[in-house]
Amino acid sequence: MSLGKGIDRPVLDPATRQRFEALALPHLGHLYRLAVRLKGTAQDAEDLVQETYVKALRAFPALRDPDRIRPWLCKILSRLVYDDHRGEPREVVVGDLAELDRFSLYDLIDQEDPFPYSDQLHRDFLARFDDAEVRRALLVLPEAYRVPLVLLYVEELSYRELAEALDCPVGTIMSRLHRGRKILERELWECAKQRGIVRTR
Amino acid sequence: MRLTCEQAVQQFFAYLDRALSGEELADLEAHLAACLDCCDKLAFSRELDAFVKRHLPDNPVPAALEARVRRALERAQGT
Repeated sequence: MSLGKGIDRPVLDPATRQRFEALALPHLGHLYRLAVRLKGTAQDAEDLVQETYVKALRAFPALRDPDRIRPWLCKILSRLVYDDHRGEPREVVVGDLAELDRFSLYDLIDQEDPFPYSDQLHRDFLARFDDAEVRRALLVLPEAYRVPLVLLYVEELSYRELAEALDCPVGTIMSRLHRGRKILERELWECAKQRGIVRTR
Repeated sequence: MRLTCEQAVQQFFAYLDRALSGEELADLEAHLAACLDCCDKLAFSRELDAFVKRHLPDNPVPAALEARVRRALERAQGT
């Protein structure tokens, strides 16, 4: 699935643009929802969607299979977010990797036992968080972790498809999905501490 | 190969994402069949995934977005 590198200045006649619009604009809603999930705010999502469509129009003559236009557009959008941050993410957020790999929200809830009379302790713990808190936790993830995780959740791509979409090895996808979820667990635990759901300091 | 609990836990996300196969999958399933503690941890990981998915934002598409994109495409065609 080429993004049309090397064809930055194609000849785009009005008929090509109209054909592109007819094929691509029906997916605007899907792209916008994906953009909000990746960027966190409506304004950033709108900007990203516009940038995606403009880039896609320029690459459109190289699209070989118009039936696959939606995944192609999703790939362009995701790469716009991912490519700016594809290096090792900010250390301050990720911290010690070995420690992160061992982090277990399950074990911490078990040890802390915040609801002694609950017979579904872990489920009750999760039920204490609202939409905004979970979304904030997700936005703490550096883009290099957030993009593959959101694509996995929303587009339900396989590891191989994620690796192809983000142009990186399957092993990188695997470790970033693992660590992304661990950062998310850690952020939920920090949030629980701040809100006094658990007492641990 | 017999997995320790620590090794099994490291495979949970790949298992949930259906990325394990062959011997790796068989080893993990053999461990799960014999370890209730790991079954509980795996169930929590599965629940956490579903929980995060349920809380992802689902904003309605702004009414003016399509017109904005069409204008941008028109400008892009001329550049």
